[in-house]
Amino acid sequence: MKVTIHIWDLPHRLFHWLLAVSVVAAYITASIGGELIDWHGRLGIFILGLLVFRIIWGFIGSTHSRFSTFFPTFSRISAYLKGQWQGIGHNPLGALSVLALLAAVAVQVGTGLFANDDIAFEGPLFDLIDKDVSDKLTGLHSTTFYILLGFVVLHLIAIVFYRFVKKTNLVKPMLTGKKEVPRALAEAVAPDHSTIGFGAVRFILSLIISSTVVWGVSGGITKLYPVQHQQQASNESTSTDVAPQAPSSF
Amino acid sequence: MNKKIPLAILLAATATAALAGPIEEQIRFRQSAYSFAAWNIQKIKAQVVDHPETYNKDSVAAAANAIAAVANSGLGALYGEGTDQGIGWKQTRLKPEFFQKKDEVTKVANTFNEAANELAKVAATGDVNLIKTQFGKVGESCKSCHDLIRIKE
Repeated sequence: MKVTIHIWDLPHRLFHWLLAVSVVAAYITASIGGELIDWHGRLGIFILGLLVFRIIWGFIGSTHSRFSTFFPTFSRISAYLKGQWQGIGHNPLGALSVLALLAAVAVQVGTGLFANDDIAFEGPLFDLIDKDVSDKLTGLHSTTFYILLGFVVLHLIAIVFYRFVKKTNLVKPMLTGKKEVPRALAEAVAPDHSTIGFGAVRFILSLIISSTVVWGVSGGITKLYPVQHQQQASNESTSTDVAPQAPSSF
Repeated sequence: MNKKIPLAILLAATATAALAGPIEEQIRFRQSAYSFAAWNIQKIKAQVVDHPETYNKDSVAAAANAIAAVANSGLGALYGEGTDQGIGWKQTRLKPEFFQKKDEVTKVANTFNEAANELAKVAATGDVNLIKTQFGKVGESCKSCHDLIRIKE
């Protein structure tokens, strides 16, 4: 006898699909470059907002979004390896891949904020460091991409594996938010139906915090507290509103 | 044996070396060229992409001409043998494979030339939208060279 569980709430699903689309778009815009590099930057900041939202939601979202529900502790991992884990959401292996993907995206975004392309693009926080540090972080940004790519490929292979070998469709619940599980399992996992549902106030709070981070990174902070440059380039003949640049790019 | 012949050979060799430029000098000059181009790129970006309300036709045209001048200045002469190792203003990032990829490099270098010359032409017209598009193409040509022959840090 199966029951339908509401497993992934709407913000969680929106986060997942927006992240997937944004990461693909970020890759495409970076590969083409030229005019599109600015879009790459905007997508990066958007992904930062998504990440911040996910982390907050991992503490105040609904049950299966919360890290406490699925975090791969040692006891959960060893139970899983012994074949004794039972649950509705991510098994510990799935949990590890969630964390790996989040970490890889976080490093990509974190390094990207300070990166430059030696042509016309500087990350939004470039002014906080000097060019040598930015070049090193840009190098990291390039290398970490391959790690992220590896995790994404593994993720896709796992979905396919679950679909065709384990006969479990993982895509549908991530679209509809609903999953069918045996009643016995549902009872075992939440005997007193003590799952936490979606909270509108918590959702708005998460949105406010992630939007503030995005605003801060996009220039909100440096508008409030302007960064002093070490050297001021002279703007005599080209008197535009261009911010003075330290002449250091090679 | 005339004592002046070894001396003549020595002088000729020194002169040739001075013309080709010691390795560090070539690296330094090309790093300077790209740095100067970057200054002009940033000027155009600021006036055409980021803050079009500050657009100054003469300023952008001068910047585009400067970039085209860099592209047309024969930078190939600064990529002599052995210049994949050395410090100009900073350690060069030229990939050693550069010397095996001469055909591809020539192709990519020509796209830089063509894009830069076209940008200079378009900048003279004052059409900001056209300038913006062509500016993007110049950026792509910069990137295609970096992707081909520059080591990522």
